[in-house]
Amino acid sequence: MRTIPIIQGEHAVVKDADTVISTLLGSCIAVCLHDAEARLGGMNHFLLGEPSPEHTLSELDLQRYGVHAMEVLINATMKAGANRQNLRAHLYGGANIIAGLGGIGTANAAFAKRFLETEGIAIGHVDTGGTRARKVEFRPFDGKIRARCVSDAPPPPKPDPTPEHGGEIELF
Amino acid sequence: MPAASQIRVMVVDDQASMRAMIRRALQDFGFKDVRDKPTATEALPAIKTDRVHLVISDYNMPEMDGLAFLEAVRKDDVLAKTVFIMLTGSSDREVVQKAAALGVNNYLVKPFAPAALKEKIERVFGALT
Repeated sequence: MRTIPIIQGEHAVVKDADTVISTLLGSCIAVCLHDAEARLGGMNHFLLGEPSPEHTLSELDLQRYGVHAMEVLINATMKAGANRQNLRAHLYGGANIIAGLGGIGTANAAFAKRFLETEGIAIGHVDTGGTRARKVEFRPFDGKIRARCVSDAPPPPKPDPTPEHGGEIELF
Repeated sequence: MPAASQIRVMVVDDQASMRAMIRRALQDFGFKDVRDKPTATEALPAIKTDRVHLVISDYNMPEMDGLAFLEAVRKDDVLAKTVFIMLTGSSDREVVQKAAALGVNNYLVKPFAPAALKEKIERVFGALT
């Protein structure tokens, strides 16, 4: 069995029977998307933007990373052959591991659920919240997922490295 | 200086969440007339019937992608001069070059800050009031 480990900001889509996608989550969220008919799926691992001490970022600012992470995963699964109507999502993570961070994990989990409801994607298993890190292993071919609490702390969340202002090619 | 409230906008993206985020950002900038569609195939007849000044369209969409949409707009006698801003993924360098060749007015790489969207719009229309 081959394992593809992913970390924050990454995603993977798999359609062969012998591959598992795995990740270690703290306050981040992993969404596993599965198309049972196409026998494939994918997983991402993301964190919403974090509020600054001055609260200068709007809710919109905080959510854009999550929306983007979900869009990238949905597009990648569809490109691999999934039908959007068949997608079923399972949610993991969103723990509030470090006290005093204002429930970032809870906010991440709430965002993911709200996003899926808005997009009309069916939600299957939800294992979010708590105060412990989780290890998630997802075999997209048959949709099997194993999630367990672990004592290993995942790497601390980092801000998304994507540039604030779009535009890598100077055309305009 | 154009008033944002006078500019009619069509937002096209297959993700409802992205359409909602863009709508909210545009409303924060002062835009009053913002419509949206989940596909270019729905947006194209809609803007023919009820014209807009600005189209903000995703590239990666099912049925008709953003490039095909842009091409259809530029080839249409009535719509050809509509301002068109394309939203792309970070790895879509080739897409941006094709869009430029087709006459896109500007583009924006996802994920973007609302301020970046405003800046791109202002580069085409001038400072908004």
